[in-house]
Amino acid sequence: MNVRENSLHDIRQLSRGELSLEARLGYVALLLFSSAMTVVIVSLWLTEPFLPARTQVAFGAMSMIGLSWLAFSLWVLSTRRPLFARDRVIAGRMAVAFTALFLAGAGAAVWVSNSAAAYGALITGGAMLLAALVVWSRARRRFEQLSARRAALSAG
Amino acid sequence: MSNSSRPDPCADELLAVRCQLGERDAFDALIARWHEPIWRYLRTLCDSDDAAADLAQDTWLRVLRGLPALRDAGRFRAWLFGIARRAAMDRLRARYAQALEPEASLEDLAAPEPDEPLESDLAALRVHLDTLPLRDRETLALFYLRELGIDEIATLLNVPAGTVKSRLFRARQMLRDRFNPGE
Repeated sequence: MNVRENSLHDIRQLSRGELSLEARLGYVALLLFSSAMTVVIVSLWLTEPFLPARTQVAFGAMSMIGLSWLAFSLWVLSTRRPLFARDRVIAGRMAVAFTALFLAGAGAAVWVSNSAAAYGALITGGAMLLAALVVWSRARRRFEQLSARRAALSAG
Repeated sequence: MSNSSRPDPCADELLAVRCQLGERDAFDALIARWHEPIWRYLRTLCDSDDAAADLAQDTWLRVLRGLPALRDAGRFRAWLFGIARRAAMDRLRARYAQALEPEASLEDLAAPEPDEPLESDLAALRVHLDTLPLRDRETLALFYLRELGIDEIATLLNVPAGTVKSRLFRARQMLRDRFNPGE
């Protein structure tokens, strides 16, 4: 094969790696888990009174770890593994399911413990579910727009 | 100078929309459709097949990552060549920004002279194209080889349409002079 043919072969290989759905959804899962973890840790941290200094430092460190993973997954999904329309719909469903589960867990924690941390997680969980519903709705709208355009171009 | 197949804007847009939807087989079709034109365009902007191969890979990486954000799939062709151009310009800027060896000269950075005899008009065209200034060479390639319109080229290069016409005129004139040096 000459250089040009090798180039075509290499680009096809490259595209298979770049377009992996599993990798994309993996980063979506990372985003969701790191968000939930950060919310739980920060809720506990802010609502527990009279924590010793080393515990404060530990909470701070864990919060930073959670935020770092959240930021990293957001960066990957916006620059390295952006989601195509169908991927966004799947990611939206994942987000809604996950945040609904999280909200249910926070609700159970409120019912069992009636603690400030549980209330904090409940309120934040509610906001996260709302955000997930908005993201899912926009993803579905974009998917429908593109599908309609494809149908129009295929017919014409 | 023209492509063997005429561009079909609707087919191009359909392919782009299918890719934006996430249809994985559409990407294979996209690469098969556009690899050759992109390769040929990049080859006019660099001095070797290996450099063109590197640029092609860089271009396609940017395309695959940028497709979800493309708002108007109807402008896919101009968008695609815009990405290829930016990849080439970034590479050129990096290359010219490198410190030169003390004994090197500006001629070292120019396109290499051919060392085998010209055997056909096509080979002669390639050689003469490589001697044109980059801007004129690029405009010529976009107009004749990629069959982009004046307005599309103007948008892609971010210059007025009049400038595109001037460059085309100048490039044709220079090529004519190179092919017929005595006239």
